[in-house]
Amino acid sequence: MRSSVSRRPMIGRRVWHFVSFGGPGTAVYLCFVLAPILISLGYSLTNYNPFRDETHFVGLDNYRVLLTDEEFLTSLRVTGILTAIVVIVPNVAGLAIAALLDRQSWFFSSLRTVFFVPVVLSSVVVSVIWTRLLDNDGLINQTLRAIGVDEPPGWLSDPDYALYSLGGILSWQMLGFCVVIYLAGLQHIPQELLEAAAIDGAGPVRRFWRITWPLLAPALTINTVILLISAFKVFDHVQIITRGGPGSGTTATIAYNVLQTGFVANRQGFASAMAILMLVIIAALSGVALRLLQRREVDL
Amino acid sequence: MRRRLLTLGMAVLLAAPTLAACEVGEPNTPAGKKEITFLVFETPNLTPQYWDAAIKRVTDKHPDITVKKLVSPDQDRTTYAKQLLSSGQFPDVMIAVSPAGFAEGGNLYAWTPEELKDFQFPTNGAIKGKVYQLPANTQTIPTVYYNKDLFAKAGITGEPKTYAELMSAAQKLKANGITPFVTAGVHDSIGPLWAGILATDVYAKNPNWMHDRRAGKVKFCDAEFKAGATKLADLARQGYVDAKDVSRDYAAGQQAFLDGKGAMYAMGNWLAGELDKPTTKLHVGQFAWPADDGKLVIPAFTGGGLLVSAKAKNLDAAKTFALGFQLDKGNLDNSAKADGLFPAIKGYTPPSDVGAAYKLGYDLYAQGVAANAVVPAFGFEAGDDGMLPGVTAKWDSSAVDLVTGKKTADQVCAFLDAEWAKAAT
Amino acid sequence: MRKVLALLVATVFAVPLYVAVVNVFKDGPQISKSPASLPIPPTLDNIRSALGRSDRLFWVSLTNSLIVTSLSIAVLTVLSAMLGHYLARTRGRWTRALTLLLLSGLMIPPQVILMPVTQVLRAVGLMTTVPGLVLFNVGYYVPFGVFVFTGFVRAIPVELEESAALDGAGRGQTFWRIVFPLMRPATASVLIFLGVWIWNDFIDPLVILGPSQGTTVTTGIYRSIGQYQVDFGAMFAMMFLATLPVLIFFLLLQRHFVKGLTGGATKG
Repeated sequence: MRSSVSRRPMIGRRVWHFVSFGGPGTAVYLCFVLAPILISLGYSLTNYNPFRDETHFVGLDNYRVLLTDEEFLTSLRVTGILTAIVVIVPNVAGLAIAALLDRQSWFFSSLRTVFFVPVVLSSVVVSVIWTRLLDNDGLINQTLRAIGVDEPPGWLSDPDYALYSLGGILSWQMLGFCVVIYLAGLQHIPQELLEAAAIDGAGPVRRFWRITWPLLAPALTINTVILLISAFKVFDHVQIITRGGPGSGTTATIAYNVLQTGFVANRQGFASAMAILMLVIIAALSGVALRLLQRREVDL
Repeated sequence: MRRRLLTLGMAVLLAAPTLAACEVGEPNTPAGKKEITFLVFETPNLTPQYWDAAIKRVTDKHPDITVKKLVSPDQDRTTYAKQLLSSGQFPDVMIAVSPAGFAEGGNLYAWTPEELKDFQFPTNGAIKGKVYQLPANTQTIPTVYYNKDLFAKAGITGEPKTYAELMSAAQKLKANGITPFVTAGVHDSIGPLWAGILATDVYAKNPNWMHDRRAGKVKFCDAEFKAGATKLADLARQGYVDAKDVSRDYAAGQQAFLDGKGAMYAMGNWLAGELDKPTTKLHVGQFAWPADDGKLVIPAFTGGGLLVSAKAKNLDAAKTFALGFQLDKGNLDNSAKADGLFPAIKGYTPPSDVGAAYKLGYDLYAQGVAANAVVPAFGFEAGDDGMLPGVTAKWDSSAVDLVTGKKTADQVCAFLDAEWAKAAT
Repeated sequence: MRKVLALLVATVFAVPLYVAVVNVFKDGPQISKSPASLPIPPTLDNIRSALGRSDRLFWVSLTNSLIVTSLSIAVLTVLSAMLGHYLARTRGRWTRALTLLLLSGLMIPPQVILMPVTQVLRAVGLMTTVPGLVLFNVGYYVPFGVFVFTGFVRAIPVELEESAALDGAGRGQTFWRIVFPLMRPATASVLIFLGVWIWNDFIDPLVILGPSQGTTVTTGIYRSIGQYQVDFGAMFAMMFLATLPVLIFFLLLQRHFVKGLTGGATKG
């Protein structure tokens, strides 16, 4: 069945191409991501609080207060540290483990699956398991006591440790993903390149830096993008494992604070300003990251 | 071909709203039935079966009402109710949700004196003079529960009457390798411990302290509150409270006390429900948190009952259900047995077969009433008697900060004053 | 040597998984006393009590999760494949702007826009409905689908499509008959990724579905934490049962999954 569309003038065809192929997806995206952001932007200029009768326009007051607000600055630091841990640790450890598993056999591919299992686990499940393990009387401290450590650290109760424990849990959950992607990258590297370099007398270290590492650039890109997405989204673990504690704000990420301020303290205008600032930071970071990563990718 | 596929894609998109539109119509209830939604929360004591039976007792008497039970995903049902309100799904009836904030926004029905005539303290928890939450029961927060065997092991003979005696008992326990105080990191675990200290240091000296704070007459950084913060920090410094306990959740804290991992547990009297279970094999005594001068102080909170949404679709049915639920003798007896509550209903006496722990706690409270020694429970008050919305959470995290040593008493009181100012804007 | 080392690392790594699995088959007291011991004798009581709850929490949750996840990923795959193809095959300022707009949504945490999302849903009358949650999932995850598909389409020679067009096939026909089958690996990775993410989503179903529609598996587990506080056996059983479907789903599609992500990027 030939439609009459193809006989339309050029510009109409273009519009029709967009509407038919890109339209539905774009429309839903605009409704559920872009519109909410604009609504947030509007609220962030007010003192909106659903429990009060009057809402005033306050201009940029919320933003002014935020930039000096101790709680917000703490959550900024917490989010920064967590993001750094979650982006760096699985990337590095994942590459090391991938190099270790880079052999074709059922043994190594089943180990690969073991590493991947946590990735498909719900963060609620991961949180419950790790809370039990890291508890003061949990399995980890029981083991440490058994091998003679008298005072094992309070992994989740000591403010100096809690954030890093959380980062460790997240890294554990994401590690398998990096392993799988790096493995695929390693298996794509032409062996003859490496052999040629070996004949030219390049040692293993040099071979890695000159050949393997540049060719792994696409894998690094994918891993970093996914890890960044996951790091910014960290919320469930904070909610279930530490509730932002121990104490005030030790592990409260911005995402956690936005919901706390919006739902618990009901200051939704203020929470919206927090959300908008976070979006600005994320946009800047992901823009920089994507640009850096894509510059490194080499065409084969 | 292309057209067909496109139509299919569009159809999927368009079908979703239409499907939903059919769903958001009137709830399908049989003719003459009025449906109401009822938000509850679950704990080890308050199981799904407990709630179902309690609801059924009321609907048996009022067959025209059908109840849809909603369950809060965790024990923090107040936060959840706020979420539901913000997303347009406010329940018709709720239990044990703090009315602060909801009431000021005009979301709750204000009970009339006539409707409150059966309650012992009909003005408790009022917000600007109006009562929104049925003042259904009284809880002492805290009572100090202690493990008699561990006390004996440490050679402690009597119950501490003054704060100094409490400290020397704690010292003896610690010298014998026993953790003196069990605690955990959440509001319902560490809150009662601090509420005990603040009852003797703040409320016993000024029962109107919170109202004065609202009026700006007192501050957290005044001597009384700071003394209470210092005491809590000192308990941790001396090792009487183990800073590692703050990562526990409520259940783990309770379990630790039941497992004998510590000697004392300052807790709301709902613990009696657990202690009186036939499976609990612990010898437990109770005393009130001791003041410096040894005068009896009983911190207690009356409230905790049902609330009704002002915008409930079937407001009359919701009100009938709430009062029916609250005044049903069977429900009151069960709440006393399962959750250790003291119903604050005129003419009500707990059933004769309540457990020993419940009875001991009840007598201690009655003693307090007779001696006129009942004060508010700091951090657990409701309405105008409590802190501004959002500050209680900061008070909770401050308690943990004092225990872990992350903040000093001075830093904590300054932080709370600043948070108070933020919440007031 | 490599085998031993690999096995050692994997064993340490898998301790939490081991703990989670063995405790499904132990009774409560045994779990608190010795969390790491083998379940001897094994018991199925935990699974039985999780499946046989009077409020049928598990079954309701499972049904909800299955419906929401399968609907969401089906719609997402179709929409993002088409949109991704469009962006990869057209040039111009408009295309670049749209790509940027979508990519900027890639990293937004859902919690940050959740409040206004509920208002949008209320405005269209879809709050607290399954279609509402599905639509939100579609809007929220479209950028990711586009990210994967765009990368993959670039690796497909455009000549294939051009020759099909010369043969007189329309755009839609060309796409569905020629391009879409070639994108199978990308489709697999989008399905897996989004399937896992949506299945495990916690705060969105909690708020958008609300309490009246019942729970999804994750919110169901979270809810049972409160009740099972001391009965860890039932807790572990719930988690185990809730994870099985998504694990099986992954194992089935595992082979295609990596290709879809790297196939476009490595041009291999």
